[in-house]
Parts: sequence; structure tokens; C-alpha cells
Amino acid sequence: MRILIAEDDRETAEFIRRGLDELGHEVLVAGDGTEALHLLLLEELDLAVIDRMLPRLDGLSVVRRARVAEVETPVLLLTALGRIQDRVEGLEAGADDYLVKPFAFAELAARVNALARRKPLQAQPTKLEHRGILVDLLKRDVERDGKAIQLQPLEYRILEELMRDAGKFVTRTMLLERVWNYHFDPQTNIVDTHISRLRSKLNEGGRPDAIETVRGAGYRMAGDA
Amino acid sequence: MRSWRRSAAYRIAFVNFAAYAIGIALLGAVVFAVIHVAFTRQLDAMVSDEAQTLAGEYRSGGMTELNESIVERQAASNRMLYAVFAPDGRRISGSLRAARPALGAREIEFIDPVEGPDFARSTVVDLSPDARLIVAVDSDWLEQFEQIILIVFGVGFLGICLLGFGGAVVLGGYLEQRLRSISNSAQAIIGGDTRQRMPVSPRRDEFDQVAMTLNRMLDRIEGLLENLRQVSSDIAHDLRTPLSRLRTRLEQGMLENSSEAGPVLEDALRRIDEVLSLFGAILRIAEVESGETRRLFERVDLSALASELADSFGSSVEDGGRTLLWSVNPGVAVEGDRELIAQAGINLLENAQRHTPVGTVIRLTVVAAGNLAFFAVVDSGPGVPKVDLPRITKRFARLESSRNTAGYGLGLSLVDAVAKLHNGRLVLTSAAPGLSATLELPLAVESLAPTEEPKL
Repeated sequence: MRILIAEDDRETAEFIRRGLDELGHEVLVAGDGTEALHLLLLEELDLAVIDRMLPRLDGLSVVRRARVAEVETPVLLLTALGRIQDRVEGLEAGADDYLVKPFAFAELAARVNALARRKPLQAQPTKLEHRGILVDLLKRDVERDGKAIQLQPLEYRILEELMRDAGKFVTRTMLLERVWNYHFDPQTNIVDTHISRLRSKLNEGGRPDAIETVRGAGYRMAGDA
Repeated sequence: MRSWRRSAAYRIAFVNFAAYAIGIALLGAVVFAVIHVAFTRQLDAMVSDEAQTLAGEYRSGGMTELNESIVERQAASNRMLYAVFAPDGRRISGSLRAARPALGAREIEFIDPVEGPDFARSTVVDLSPDARLIVAVDSDWLEQFEQIILIVFGVGFLGICLLGFGGAVVLGGYLEQRLRSISNSAQAIIGGDTRQRMPVSPRRDEFDQVAMTLNRMLDRIEGLLENLRQVSSDIAHDLRTPLSRLRTRLEQGMLENSSEAGPVLEDALRRIDEVLSLFGAILRIAEVESGETRRLFERVDLSALASELADSFGSSVEDGGRTLLWSVNPGVAVEGDRELIAQAGINLLENAQRHTPVGTVIRLTVVAAGNLAFFAVVDSGPGVPKVDLPRITKRFARLESSRNTAGYGLGLSLVDAVAKLHNGRLVLTSAAPGLSATLELPLAVESLAPTEEPKL
């Protein structure tokens, strides 16, 4: 993918650039807002990671102007503030996702993947399947190797999120945002608790572990990649 | 509106009005008494003069002339009454029908040929041992006159009372309104809108002087607070930047070589994340306390939110060896920030788990009563000593008993700040045993008649 990084802090920009480079993306770096806007308008991009506070033109204005110019490139906004209002303002300006600095690179990588996959507007699937696990999105029921599994609503929602991004990492924070709609760090282990319950239900009967947990990276459906 | 009895503005206005009314009534009574005495004296002087004149005529012309004069006078006036009595009480002249009176000036009773028994002011003199003259004047007209005065005064007094009462209501209302505008502004400031100022009218009266003084005070306080806020967010921000860089470095190092330094780096990362999340929590509380997020308020279904929390926490509480019981009344809604209320609820539930022994029962209750919504978390744990209750919502407050459990003592501070942001409060009481923590929030206005919003 061609990804634009608009970040005035060189160290952070370099950190993100190297990380994305290693994942095989082509990275363009802009050091200020006007440069970022130019690149957004002129270049064919798959994704833009834009810091909220940029010299010459702030990140919010960059996104707003790009959206006025009908540039539909998905935007991940970065901020050092993490205030409630900032997130709302960011989404209002037209950003697609929002990440508070400092962040673990894995968090950024997972969100970049998620945003990139959002792009093709394919028909919504009614069933998700991954290595013997079948999720029927209409009936909201789950099978593994043909055997029905009873899940609590939250467990089902988590599985659905993992299955939608099967093979890719989904972080704790992303699960909190998508399943619980919490955009703050609740400092609790609710995600871990529900993941562990979900896992034990899926693995019942001595089947191989269905969910892979990687410290610092997140969770994903096991067995792929 | 507050009750009139408890309003100083109305009390002042009505006391003032009552004082005037009593003053006017007293003045009226005095004027009336003076008029009464003066007129009575005038009547007495009139009859006395008349008696002197008649006595002169008796002396010059005897009984015959006196009799003629009396007849003549009676024909000319119907106000004056005359009679001459013999010592045996017989009336020998005049038409005044009364008993033979004693000497002197007084009020007598007589029979009026038209009106029957009546009163008159009279004077009685002895012309000779055989003739006692009485001259009287009917006090009817004086009574009528006094009655008119009373009616005029009464009607006037009633009018003044009505005017005064109306004036007091208007004055009281005015005073109360001026005070209320100050009180409303103060309430808004307490609620977090620190930009709010007391209204000042162009009249520059005493109220405006007070308001202006208060505004200067508020400007000063706001300046100090702004400084403080600036300093703390500067500190938090300035420390976050190098910490963020450090974090980046560590993570980079960890990704580049996963040698034996790995676990150490991982541990360092975890610790930095802890400090960063502490800064995040401090900044979050500051943001909530500033009241700036109030513009994002929307209708929040507290019942649904509590059920979600119970679903989310039930299993983790169970895994921790405790029990979560919940009873959530449906349709309880408040006006607010869903995520902040959720965070407050999570903090209360986390607290109930973190500081209680295994086997504790935690109860989550959501009810509406009056115009308040109650979100209560009650545990059956060891509770908190009563003296410590007011302290535990302060930032970084930690009880001796929980020194060795996780956390920085910011959880309840945030709950408290969230409660205040929503014009509510956090009530901590002993549940004997255990701690009862209740979030009291004003109900959403339309919560009384819940309406389903169309879901798109």
C-alpha cells in the first residue's frame, strides 16, 4: 500500500516509517500540514496517517480540506492530547480512525490494516468462515467443525470482529471500541475475561486453540498467515 | 420558586409594607380622636354660649321673655334643643323631652320626636332656684360626620393596603429576581462553566456593584486556575513527550533484537505505559472537571448501560471469586456523556472488586426516584472506616489497607468529577459491612415519559 505519514516529530515519523516499511508498505512522509495536503490531493494513496498538530496547517484542517476536495483516502488521525472532544472533532472533520500518542506500533499496524481493508465496498457477507469455524451473521449462531457453540452476546460480538479480520491482529483497544463502543482505557481485564471464555468455548473437546494471543500485538484467529 | 416565608426579599418587602400600614392606621386613629374631641368641645361651647344668652334674657325679662325666646329659637333651628325644669322635675318651657338633669356639661339622653331615644351634648344651668335651664345640641350630625370620616379612611386604608401589598409582591419579586440571576450564574460556575459571569445592568446599583465585585473575584480565581491548569497540563504534556520518545525507542529496540534484553525491555515498556496511563487519567479528570465536554451531552439510557456493564463484568467478577448481582429498572435515562458514565460505572465496579476479599457479593442497582437516577454499587466487603469516607474521592487518596493493591487512587476522583459534570454527586456510605457507592444523576427531562427513538 502507499501510505502517507504527516508528522512533524522526526523521530516518531521515522519510527512509523520504518515499521510500515518492514510490513512492505510504500511510505511517503510529510513534515507539515500544507505538504501533507498537497500529497493527499496529488498522490494516489491507500491511506494517510496524519498528526493532529502540524506546523503551517493543523491536521484537522488538512483532513477537512481534503474531504472538501472529495479525496476519499482513509485517514488515521494521531493526537498527543487524547481529550474526549478531540476524538469527536477528528471524526467530525472526516477522519476514519483516531489514535492517541504514544501508541504501540502493533496498535498502529492493526489499525492501518483495518482501515485499508475497509476500502473495497464489497457486499456485506452473511457468513464468515475460518478454519472450520462458521459464524452466521444473520442467525447469529456459531459452529465449529459442524458442532453448534453457544456464546454469550459479548463473546459472539468479539468472535465476529476477529472473524471479520481473520488472520489479522485485532488489539484490545480496537475490541473495546468496536464491541463495547468505549473510546477510553477502562483499566480493566474485561476484554481478557471474555476472550478467555470465548476461547474455552471454541476449544471445547480438546480442539486446537482457535484464538492466538500475542502480547503487545493483540488477538487473531489462529492458524493462518 | 422558593416559599415566600423563606425568601428574605419577600420578608423585607412585606415587613416594610406592614410597618407602613400600621403607621397609617395609627395616624388615622389619632386624627380621628383629635377631630372627635375638638368637635365635642365646639358643641359644648355652642350650648354653653346659648345658655349664657338665655340666662341674660331671664335676668332682664324673667320667665316670660325666656319662654318667648325659647319658642322663637326652637322654630328657627332644629339642631338646638331647650327646656326649663321646675325643681319637681316638671318641664315648664321648651320642647326637649328629657328628665331633669344635674348641673354641668355632659351627654344626655332624650326622646327625639322623630327618631326616638337619642343623645345630645348639653349644658345645664340654674337660672333661679325654681328654674333649671338645659340647652342641648343633637350630636347626630357629629356621628354622621365621624362615620363618613371612618368610611373614607377605611376605603383609603384598604386601597393603600392593596397598593402596598402589590408593591411588596413586585418589590420582593424584583429583589428575588436580581438575587436569583446572581445565584444562577454562581450555579453555572459551580457546574464547571467558569467563563460565566454575574449579569451587570447599566444602572450600576448596589446589586450591580456586588455583581461587579464578584466578577472581579471570579476573573482573579479563573486566572489562577488557568495558570494552575496550564502548569499541570504543561507538566503532563512535557513529560509525556520524552516518555513517548522513550517508549518508541524501547519498542524499536525490542523489535530489532529479541535477545536476552527482551524481557527487560518488555518490563520497562510496561512500566512506561503505566506512567503514561497515569498521566492520561490525570488529564482526563482535569478535562472532566473543566466541564468542556458538556457540549457533547446526549440522552443516555442508564438502564441499558448498566446492563451492558453487568454483562461485561459478571464473568470477570465471577472469575475473581466474587458474585455480581444486578437489578436494573428499565427506562432510566440521563442527559450526559455515555462513555464518561460508563467509565464511572466501571471504576465503581472495579473498586468493589479490587478492595474486597474473595467471596464478596457485589450488588449493582439502577433505579429512578423523584427526579434523580441512582446507579448504586454496594459490596459486602470490609468497607471503609467512616472517617476516611470524605477523603477517598480526593486525587491519589489511598487507604492504608489498600496500599499494596494496584491503582493510584484516581478511580473515585474520576467518578466524583463525572458526577459533578452531570450536576449530580457521588454518595459514599457504609453499607455495614461493606461500602455503598451511589452515583446520583438528574434524570433526563423526557425520561419521565420514555419514548423509543427510531433506530435507523
